[in-house]
Amino acid sequence: MRNFLEKAPCAAPWLALAGGLALAACQWLIFVYAPVESTMGPPQKIFYLHLPLAWWGLISFFVVFLSGIAYIYSRKPVWDALSGAAAEVGLVLAVLAVLTGSIWARHSWGLWWTWDARLTTALVMCFVYAGYLIVRGLDMQPGRKALVCAVVGIVAFLDVPLVFLSARLWSYIHPPSISLEPEMKLTVAACTGAFALLWAGLTLFRFKLALDAQRLDQSAMERLMRRG
Amino acid sequence: MNSYEWIMYAGIAVWAGLGLYIFTLARRQSALSRRIAQMTRLADEEAAER
Repeated sequence: MRNFLEKAPCAAPWLALAGGLALAACQWLIFVYAPVESTMGPPQKIFYLHLPLAWWGLISFFVVFLSGIAYIYSRKPVWDALSGAAAEVGLVLAVLAVLTGSIWARHSWGLWWTWDARLTTALVMCFVYAGYLIVRGLDMQPGRKALVCAVVGIVAFLDVPLVFLSARLWSYIHPPSISLEPEMKLTVAACTGAFALLWAGLTLFRFKLALDAQRLDQSAMERLMRRG
Repeated sequence: MNSYEWIMYAGIAVWAGLGLYIFTLARRQSALSRRIAQMTRLADEEAAER
């Protein structure tokens, strides 16, 4: 597993490139193939960006949660690197999901923001993971920091199921789901697939940066120890 | 506002956000490459001294 994790980042540029090209191709599906929704009109097409961004943001945070558990169990720095990479990419995607949702809301609901349960829990989630990244930037002994981050990453995940369920349980304005025609379903599936490639590429690239930084810090430490 | 303009703004937000993030990743990658080159040069100098 560790070998796989250390070799996987080689695929990052190709995945990101494939994701970018797939997203460009999805523009045709969004603007030409998918029909215009009768109630909301053309702005409903924001959905094809908004939903994949939100899903891959949540999946990123699930990866943070799992790699936090793996770090606590194994104490291998590779899991800490994966955790940090997934949190950063997840936060970028979650913030973009909130932004696209806000633009869509301005057209459909007539306001940029409202304290609806889905929107509020999503915003809290963004702040929690921004806090997690701040903790990662603190100056602490590496092993201790990785452990603290693993615990924070696991605890932070408590908000993710709330975001997922909030629209079904408490939301008064954000719909829990919308009915889609077959062409719309195909378009959203294609966009989700394109974002999957981009997400994997970005996460693996960020993961590679974190692994390289860890190796560099370790070799600098060894040099210092040798010099005594 | 034309209703297609809303999609355009959302698209701009997504591409600009992703572009900015990729730009910061590239900056961090080049900073790391500089550190690796510096470390390799130091190691080579040490080996030559020995």
